[in-house]
Amino acid sequence: MSKLVIGHFYPDLLNLYGDRGNVLALMRRASLRGIEVEVKRISIGDDVKNGDIDIGFIGGGQDSEQNIMADDIKNVKGDVIKEMIEDGVVFLTVCGGYQMLGKYYEEHTGNRIECLGALPHYTVGKKERFINDCIYEIEIEGKTVKVAGFENHSGRTFLGEGEEPFMKVIKGHGNNGQDGFEGAKYKNTFCTYSHGSLLPKNPDITDMLLKLALKRKYGEDYEFPELSTETEDLARKQALDYIEGKQGIQQ
Amino acid sequence: MGLKAPAQAAALITKGILRIMGRGATTLPGKVAIRMCPDIISKCAKGKKIITITGTNGKTTTTHMITSMLRSLGYEVITNVSGANLASGITTTFLCEKPSKTADPDKIVYVLETDEAAFAKIAKDLQPKVCLVTNLFRDQLDRYGELTHTRDLIANGIDDTSAKIVLNADDSLVASMGKTRSDRASYYGISLQTMLDNNRLHPNNTILEASSDAAFCPECKVRYDYQARSFGHLGDYRCPSCGFATPVRRFELSYDASGNPSDEGFPFTITDTEHDVTDTLNLRIAGSHNLYNTCAAVSAVTRFLEIDRGEEDGLFEQACKSTQKIEAAFGRMEKIAVGNKFICILLVKNPVGLDRALSFVAQSSDADSLMLVLNSNTADGKDVSWIWDVDFESKVDDLPSNIYVSGQRYGDMMLRVSYSGRTVDGYGSLDYATTLLKGAISECPDGKCIYILPNYTAMLDLRGRLVKDLKLKDFWKD
Repeated sequence: MSKLVIGHFYPDLLNLYGDRGNVLALMRRASLRGIEVEVKRISIGDDVKNGDIDIGFIGGGQDSEQNIMADDIKNVKGDVIKEMIEDGVVFLTVCGGYQMLGKYYEEHTGNRIECLGALPHYTVGKKERFINDCIYEIEIEGKTVKVAGFENHSGRTFLGEGEEPFMKVIKGHGNNGQDGFEGAKYKNTFCTYSHGSLLPKNPDITDMLLKLALKRKYGEDYEFPELSTETEDLARKQALDYIEGKQGIQQ
Repeated sequence: MGLKAPAQAAALITKGILRIMGRGATTLPGKVAIRMCPDIISKCAKGKKIITITGTNGKTTTTHMITSMLRSLGYEVITNVSGANLASGITTTFLCEKPSKTADPDKIVYVLETDEAAFAKIAKDLQPKVCLVTNLFRDQLDRYGELTHTRDLIANGIDDTSAKIVLNADDSLVASMGKTRSDRASYYGISLQTMLDNNRLHPNNTILEASSDAAFCPECKVRYDYQARSFGHLGDYRCPSCGFATPVRRFELSYDASGNPSDEGFPFTITDTEHDVTDTLNLRIAGSHNLYNTCAAVSAVTRFLEIDRGEEDGLFEQACKSTQKIEAAFGRMEKIAVGNKFICILLVKNPVGLDRALSFVAQSSDADSLMLVLNSNTADGKDVSWIWDVDFESKVDDLPSNIYVSGQRYGDMMLRVSYSGRTVDGYGSLDYATTLLKGAISECPDGKCIYILPNYTAMLDLRGRLVKDLKLKDFWKD
């Protein structure tokens, strides 16, 4: 079987808030299943074609660093990213990466920054930042799962037609602090504001992404190997207990 | 405008009350005084000889080194308590710490660790003789803003003074502050040859490259070319577009890259390239990052002596010699004996701090156990995702055989260790930390050491528990 290829977009510019943890989680839970993984760094100056990668990851960066890569994602890699998303390549995008896939970002001064437009959401910047431990809920293969995360964003994102929310907010603000939802989902592309990092503590989401990518790669008949989530579940439970204020002597 | 004398009296009374209540008095007296007399800092600082130390990492250790060195050189030094590095803490230092009555007024120096944002606000009032900027790394991002913004804040502060500036040449963000201030800037760093040797002898075998800061020239938006790196974004860099590159290091540190900077007394040299003088030194506080801190301290002290004495001859050699009496600061890299075994606490506050501490422990010959303690209070940063930015993966094979985790977020840290390919030997909340530690101590062979890496509030919490549960005497000076 050929290798599972994870394309990490702009890792030298978009690497805030533990983005690296998400890539590590995908690598780990794939390689523990005996699947060979390659991580391709796709930054300014690197070429990428549709078909090169099985999972794309785009994280977030500081404003000055997002300014450096904004041209490249719009004018150089934009078309191929759009094509991959439409073709059903699995994508996870976090924070800045989420906002950039949308139509535009309106700064709190009213200045509008055009984004990639791969997805129909848009974002409005506000002065007040949402900085919180978060709990979300998501349904995966009929099972409702609690997700532990952390948000730190000043943008309020509103979804467009054809997009669905990724998760339901139990604690925290989510996309905009109004509609009770977090992130966006379109075909096999998932967007979120949640750091944490998101994937390590929430292995159900890691596995969902891996399974989608592997079935797409090897065919619907591909049997996704079982793998324990014991360690991750323990970490998630402890984080959820902490967020919910249930701390005591624990071992 | 308030008056200095009543403000000082109020500060001293506040300090007295806090002491009677058994509480540390490192910032509140200053707060009271600033309230009564808003220009208290400029009044206190007037006419004084001041050195400021700012930057993300290494402030406390470098301040401590400079203090020790100047004392060896016959100066009476007044310095702020670690952490009391905002306007309030610095005011407290001025009002409550007094030189001895017999001190020669010409020989009194204030060595002040200064928070980056606070520096921008109070540099004008302080009018320091020398400003040292150590480095700029990503810190707790829910508390601080962008790195380029922090750099601009410090640069604004510098422009409010006529101070000589001492800058880390190997940090592109720090060194860029010297571009338009070349007449008063001098640079320090590690020699290119040492970095090249190091990179060749110790290639980084990681499964996933760590997240680096400042990979691109912020002016040209072009990726820097690196000839070699020391760690993080520190290295020998050049922007292929504007040509901005590592400036010539006046104070250049070299060492044998096949040696181990985690050993106490590790030998190295510093060259004053302007005067072509090289001195051999021994590392007084172990760890590769302390090579930078020592070089920074020697540079700042040399520059200070040059200004203070109005001459240059032999001052660099005096500065080098004065490093001999440096001792580890309390609670930082200090080994505490527990019977025939040791514990050593290394405070880690941000990704590069944890990266350096892990690297230090991995190279330490006496490490028996490692304990990571992660809290997420406001002072720590509530977001713990930064632990994933740290490259555990390249170091795990060399970390001690026993790894324990604790703190409010022990689950996150347990998973971080486990995703690097190692299992933890014990984990639990802070209430369980000393139980874990007792177990680790009982299993630790004589002469070996348990390294504890807590973040800020985890360290404060742990100190109290060590005194109470392990009956260690309160060895931390406040």
